[in-house]
Amino acid sequence: MSDYLLEMRGITKSFSGVKALDGIDLRVRPGECVGLCGENGAGKSTMMKVLSAVHPYGSWGGTILWNGQELRCTTIKESEEAGIVIIHQELMLIPQLSVAENIFLGREPRTFGGMIDFDAMYVEAARLLSGLRMGHINPVQPVSNYAGGEQQLIEIAKALSKNAKLLILDEPTSSLTKSETAILLRLVKDLKSRGTACVYISHKLEEIEEIADSVTVIRDGRFVGDAPMADLTTSDIIRMMVGREMNNLFPREEHPIGEIVFEAIGITCLDPENRLRKRVDDVSFSLRKGEILGIAGLVGAGRTELVSALFGAYRGTHSGEVKIDGKLVKIRNPREAVRHGLCMVPEDRKAHGIVPGLGVGYNITLSVLDDFTKAGLIDEAQEFATIGDAIKRLRIKTASPLLPISNLSGGNQQKAVISKMLEPKPRVLILDEPTRGVDVGAKYEIYKLMFSLVREGMSIIMVSSELPEVLGISDRVLVIGEGELRGDFINDDTLTQERVLTAAITPLKRAA
Amino acid sequence: MTETTSVAPTQADVAIAKADRRQILKVEHLKGAFARYKILALVVAIAIIWALFTQLTGGDFLTARNLSNLLRQMAINGMVATGMVFVIISGEIDLSVGSLLGLMGGLAAIFDVTYHLPLFVTIPLVMLLGAMVGAFNGYWVAFLRVPSFIVTLAGFLAFRGVLLGVTGGVTIAPVSPALISVSQSYLPDVAGYGLGVLVFATLALTTLRSRAKRAQHGLSVPPMAVDLGKLAVAAVVIVGFFGILDAYRGVPLPVLIVLVLLGAFTVMARRTVFGRRIYAVGGNLEATRLSGVNVQMVKLAVFALMGAMAALAGIATTARLAAGSPSAGTGQELDAIAACIIGGTSMRGGAGTVFGALIGALIIATLDNGMSMLGVDTYWQMIVKGLILLLAVWLDVATSTKR
Repeated sequence: MSDYLLEMRGITKSFSGVKALDGIDLRVRPGECVGLCGENGAGKSTMMKVLSAVHPYGSWGGTILWNGQELRCTTIKESEEAGIVIIHQELMLIPQLSVAENIFLGREPRTFGGMIDFDAMYVEAARLLSGLRMGHINPVQPVSNYAGGEQQLIEIAKALSKNAKLLILDEPTSSLTKSETAILLRLVKDLKSRGTACVYISHKLEEIEEIADSVTVIRDGRFVGDAPMADLTTSDIIRMMVGREMNNLFPREEHPIGEIVFEAIGITCLDPENRLRKRVDDVSFSLRKGEILGIAGLVGAGRTELVSALFGAYRGTHSGEVKIDGKLVKIRNPREAVRHGLCMVPEDRKAHGIVPGLGVGYNITLSVLDDFTKAGLIDEAQEFATIGDAIKRLRIKTASPLLPISNLSGGNQQKAVISKMLEPKPRVLILDEPTRGVDVGAKYEIYKLMFSLVREGMSIIMVSSELPEVLGISDRVLVIGEGELRGDFINDDTLTQERVLTAAITPLKRAA
Repeated sequence: MTETTSVAPTQADVAIAKADRRQILKVEHLKGAFARYKILALVVAIAIIWALFTQLTGGDFLTARNLSNLLRQMAINGMVATGMVFVIISGEIDLSVGSLLGLMGGLAAIFDVTYHLPLFVTIPLVMLLGAMVGAFNGYWVAFLRVPSFIVTLAGFLAFRGVLLGVTGGVTIAPVSPALISVSQSYLPDVAGYGLGVLVFATLALTTLRSRAKRAQHGLSVPPMAVDLGKLAVAAVVIVGFFGILDAYRGVPLPVLIVLVLLGAFTVMARRTVFGRRIYAVGGNLEATRLSGVNVQMVKLAVFALMGAMAALAGIATTARLAAGSPSAGTGQELDAIAACIIGGTSMRGGAGTVFGALIGALIIATLDNGMSMLGVDTYWQMIVKGLILLLAVWLDVATSTKR
């Protein structure tokens, strides 16, 4: 009766009381490719986790109809048996095993004696691969012999070997080069023509435009609308994605802006895993005294890589020059960066920000402990005076400065990490996603602090995935897309979320 | 439309989650209390074991002579453990210390027997060499990024090999009386009592000073009664400790050395930049690096310190055996690691104390000594020690509040 393969109706899902999905619909016809669009954190990945039973039936609300029947999967295995297979952003292949072993992992053909029937496995894998026009991939070779793009193809082959009727691709091209992307898109089109449906999640709207038959847009966990791709343009999609009201969450304050203090020239970072791919591609910019420079872009655009390289913390190969006050400086590690007056609050607070077992106060003074020594010992009076001032200034709520920092709320941990990087009195402060996982009250206080810092003459580089935050706080906005600098805007009344997002997804060559 | 069906289970979920949470909090509270008073629990454990051995040996265990011997037996493992605890806190491991101890002890014997170097040259020289070898290990770990397990496993093999090479595989003897005195001499009674008074005065002063400091910085100050109670317990332990040792021959020099190390390294851990950084590196290496700390130098220094302690223990071993033995220190790394772990040092890094490590060493020495007195077979001794280690780590895992 239903002409849909999949119908998801009014899906809701909450995490500890916060609604991540609030009544979302998604419909897929057999053999159709649906583009699922939305900003960072709109709920796309959560939606797909509901569908693939990563969040089992019962932990979310709404109904899923599969071929007109209600689907109630509680394990990923059940959803895969139904024919729904998800390919995650991070590849799930085991690099040391062969292509065929990966494809049949957990479902290896057995001989009579219970051993793996390698001959049958290789033959079957070769048949599968050549059927997908991937005959050049040798099933006997280990997966690690193939580059990222081909590994993505192997993932798809693996999914199809499970008789997938619906393939979910979550940002499949986020780590691929342009030519690898082209091959992937061709394969998806092939699959469509054979009747395999697919949900394609991507920030890259030109890919959506190329392969999607219809588009569903969600925003802040809510359903915005769906329409056939033929009726839409990319700018329609962008309008649906952002259409959010700006509220006065941002306590913007006037502050003077001075001379150029910091310049980055030709920063390029290579992907440590795939050296053919540039995570950051020849980015140059300058920063003035007292300026707040927002760096916008979609997740994976290369913003964190860019600022880590400036701070001397990027793990892969990178090149470029940094000037402070017009003088060339060499920054090979974070220590040298701090010495030159450049500090960074990293994106991942838990992995890179806090030392969990140490007290709040000891975390704060970690960066400047050398300054407190007297006759080889730490001068406790001076240290506690400093800690007390920092806790007061940022209003860090803690029962005691000696309490382990892991006992604090996310917002207060973040304030402590910011305090730590303010102690060396930097001239340039890099804040990478400063308000991620931080409650509204602490957010407001962090914004207030940023304005008081720039009024004192500090310059701030803020990387943020939240466009309202970037537009609400920054004096200037850099837009990064696929490693390229795709926009450098003065943040006046004419700069809108649409303009920033359009810049972020428009490759440079087309714009020129 | 779908609102009702979707919201209802969520509320039920929340109610269940809340009930679960209360239960979990109760358990966590108990676990937290255990983790906080781990050292106290260990001291109680020692008291129980001692009482048990005293009972079983008909009082022979709890004599001044035996306790003095027990502490002397513990001293060498204690020296190694005070270095090892920092290695483990920094998130690494050192398997080479047994071999390094043997090598340094052998070199001390050679300097003494063959070259007749005076003691005041031999000791600093051997300790310097030990620190250099330790720094070599640390260089491989910190700068060349070879896992410490592998680096020190290589050292475990190679250092013993060097020892066999330089000694030709034979025992080097007889060492000079001066060197033997490192292990065999005792402090006179008066000095022993003086030392006891000094230790107590230091403890009392630090307690008062820290109370004043905490008040000054607006930190919570524990009730005076609690601190006085702690000091009273300390006084009893100190009087007992020095009283028993003086009742035999006085404080043995190796025990004195361990006490000095305990004081010096506790100050280092709590009050110096280096000490704080060891905990930070072990707690979160990447966060510490991104704070502008030279984490590689911290690791190198920790291994150098370990090397110096292994050398000191090597000298003490040669003095105790009155000879440089090519098999000295075999298995010592495992005893030291076990002492640290039993004493509450976390294998995950970032947590542990010198005091705890020495308590751990005392427990191991107690088991060795008591079981030997009872004539328990060596194989049983090994099994018991293994089980105790397993139990200690399980307690650490089971009571840690974080994953």
